Amino acid sequence: MSTTPPPKTSKSDEGFVPYDWSEPETYRPPAQARDPGPGPGRSGDHAFWERLPFPGVPWRRVLTIGIACFGLWFLLDAPSLQHSAQVSPLGSRRTVALDVVGPMAAFSRTLGLASVVGSADRALGRTPGGGPALAVPTRKPKPRPKSIPVAGITSPTSTTLPPLDYHPTPAKPLKVLIVGDSVGLDLGQPLVNTLASYGDVSTYLDGRIDTGLSRPDYFNWPAELRIDLTNQQPNLVVVMIGANDPQGLVTPEGSRQFGQPGWDAAYSARVAAFIAEANSVGAHVLWVGMPPMQDPGLDAELIHLNELVQIQVAQVGDHGASYLSSTPALGDKKGAYTAFLPDASGAEVNVRTPDGIHLTPGGGARLAAAVAGAMQTELHVHLVPGGAEAGPRP
Amino acid sequence: MSAAGRHPAAAAPIPCPNDGHVLFPTIDFAIFFAVVFAVQWLLVPYAGAWKAFMVVASYVFYAWWDWRFIFLLAASTGIAYGGGRLVHPATGTRRKVLLWTTLALLLSLLGWFKYFGFVAVNIDNVTHALGLGRPLPLVTVTLPVGISFFTFMAISYVVDVYRGVLRPARGIDVTVYLAFFPHLIAGPIVRGTELLPQIRSMRDPDDVHYVEAFWLISAGLAKKVVLSSYLSAHVVDPVFANPHQHSALEVLLAIWGYAVQIYADFSGYTDIAIGLALLMGFRFPVNFRRPYTAIDLQDFWRRWHITLSFWLRDYLYIPLGGNRGSEWRVSVNILITMLLGGLWHGASWTFVIWGAYHGVGQIIGRQRRSARVARGLPAEPTGGARVAWAQFVTFQVVCLGWLFFRADTVGTAFAMLGRLVVGWGSSPLVTPLAVVAIAAGIASQYLPDDWLTRGLKVFADRRPVVQGGILGLVLLAITTLGPQGVAPFIYYRF
Repeated sequence: MSTTPPPKTSKSDEGFVPYDWSEPETYRPPAQARDPGPGPGRSGDHAFWERLPFPGVPWRRVLTIGIACFGLWFLLDAPSLQHSAQVSPLGSRRTVALDVVGPMAAFSRTLGLASVVGSADRALGRTPGGGPALAVPTRKPKPRPKSIPVAGITSPTSTTLPPLDYHPTPAKPLKVLIVGDSVGLDLGQPLVNTLASYGDVSTYLDGRIDTGLSRPDYFNWPAELRIDLTNQQPNLVVVMIGANDPQGLVTPEGSRQFGQPGWDAAYSARVAAFIAEANSVGAHVLWVGMPPMQDPGLDAELIHLNELVQIQVAQVGDHGASYLSSTPALGDKKGAYTAFLPDASGAEVNVRTPDGIHLTPGGGARLAAAVAGAMQTELHVHLVPGGAEAGPRP
Repeated sequence: MSAAGRHPAAAAPIPCPNDGHVLFPTIDFAIFFAVVFAVQWLLVPYAGAWKAFMVVASYVFYAWWDWRFIFLLAASTGIAYGGGRLVHPATGTRRKVLLWTTLALLLSLLGWFKYFGFVAVNIDNVTHALGLGRPLPLVTVTLPVGISFFTFMAISYVVDVYRGVLRPARGIDVTVYLAFFPHLIAGPIVRGTELLPQIRSMRDPDDVHYVEAFWLISAGLAKKVVLSSYLSAHVVDPVFANPHQHSALEVLLAIWGYAVQIYADFSGYTDIAIGLALLMGFRFPVNFRRPYTAIDLQDFWRRWHITLSFWLRDYLYIPLGGNRGSEWRVSVNILITMLLGGLWHGASWTFVIWGAYHGVGQIIGRQRRSARVARGLPAEPTGGARVAWAQFVTFQVVCLGWLFFRADTVGTAFAMLGRLVVGWGSSPLVTPLAVVAIAAGIASQYLPDDWLTRGLKVFADRRPVVQGGILGLVLLAITTLGPQGVAPFIYYRF
């Protein structure tokens, strides 16, 4: 082990000591001493940089290189950056980002450079410029059942459905589509496993982190749902979306910040349309509410969001949509946030991640059991335990 | 997910557990670094101002994640500095008491933030099962990023002072040493003997090794943003989340994929850290030396997360007795070291199992080497075919360990092993691109150094503006090929 070089001047603590890298007795990069060598059958160790084989240059030249690098990248990628700024949360950061990126994006488009990245995005099957890509349609949409308007429902495409009351059989399995944001994914993954333990149930999970109904310009959930419904043709759609939604909305009438007049109505309309979209192809909806959150502010926001969803579900009626509160499964005795809950044996299980938002696998499994229970008691789906230990996807 | 890659602003405020971290592959960090880079070189002639600026910059970097935890970093620094000052002049028993007190304080911070929840729930469940109630409160403690790294660095500083290989440094030097932002979040674990002399010395502003630095940063970004993120999203996460839903072939691909993912993720991040430090005139130790070319587990640990494995050797294994004593005693020392090394990665039984697995593997490997030497054979295999076979087997052994490392629970790990046997069926995740990505991740470790240095020579001979253009295109390729959003960094939580 090398030792600290002795100070070369008496004022070592006041200023830098001129240091000579070539003095092995005072300092030697220890990694050189540790080098085990390339070993048999190998040439080099990929740590050639440690020997600094290339000459150094003044730092201002490095800065020039860096500026040239970011300048070119900025020019070529500006349209994508602009789109990213557009779909970011409303606020001053977004405004500044748009002001900075906008002129460069326009310049890039004028020069025709935007097509470079746009073509690459299309070649990779992505949404050019930002946001997770939508699913790929694999089937053509089926003709939809005739819509029957129902008084009080805000969606223009509302449909009445008969009770689900489903008896899955090998010939007629129950097809469940699970859609959600990152918290929905925490539920969805264990729910796939839980439902797999019942016979004759097939599941399809479509979870997207960073998403919600507030910003379809970032990720268009209604369009994604339409594709999922066409591809999967489910009998039941389990929805858990909302953790990202207490934020500004962009509507045709302008932007609406969360808590401002008009926000509730705009968001409720989106929830209603989401349910109506599923109902329109004959799929029932089970909407799982957001669980209690550790942060009191976020908790209050999501309680309000849950209330808006419940109102919309109630307007659809008993058959087309049901609401399941996740508080009984994940809240404490008072319905408040808790990170630990006892399992059936009495052992405490950590149900929430340290961020106070997401669910641990244990928490997800607990909520998944509640969802499976609700499917039986509320939707009258006849799930038979002891189905096949899930095989690969059908 | 925090701002990342080509999509710096996500629409949502609650994406991933690491939301808000100032991770390297973000536009926020690029702006931050550009400012720090220029200012710190301008301040080089003024040592006091440079150190003060670097402390502020590093604390701002850390506060970006959660400002409250800068007090934790400051507390660790204060304990290490005070401990070093007190231990240095002390003698005899007092010296040992002061050392152990300092170490206990440092470890108590780590213990509270990282291990209390794990210990409490396990103790409570045992006492509850025995009818003795629940003596410990169950709380979830937010794990401060990088705490394991800066705690180990603080320990190495105090122990080095105790051992007499390092003189106590000034408070400002210790503060810069522990908070220096390139290594703050995820290492490498740089020792006082490595960094303090550099902090105290004048760096030459006309001798910036940019070719090596830009290589490290570019390669690190490509590994982290492109390879790791792709494998995480398309292969590893779906299978580990629901092993019952995937075929044997998919499970096998996910295990190999995770081996490549964690290498690309972690080595990519530390490559970037080393490159950033180099741009500022600092040299960090090597952290990875082509680990998947190892011929046994002992060799693997000389190549994987080198700064941790050598830390464990120097500050845990050797104090335990190291290679001294009976074979039994040496085996116990290895097992303790690897168990604690496993636990360092996280408070979970899966990490304990992973550590024990590597400990037992090292013991077996050590005995095999001894047996070979006793038979008059070289300790390591020789000859192309034997070496290749040893590398193949070692990689599979390492992958089996990664299975437990990655799995959320021990049950998930065994479920995946079960699927390897009975999981027949379609394998839609086994795509040509996934196979190529994994193969490329492994094959890249066999690239000769000559090829890399020759390529860099071409770059080094160009004019600055051309070099900037080349790097701009490389950056564009990385941000275009990278997924929309970068997978959460694996090692930040360790």
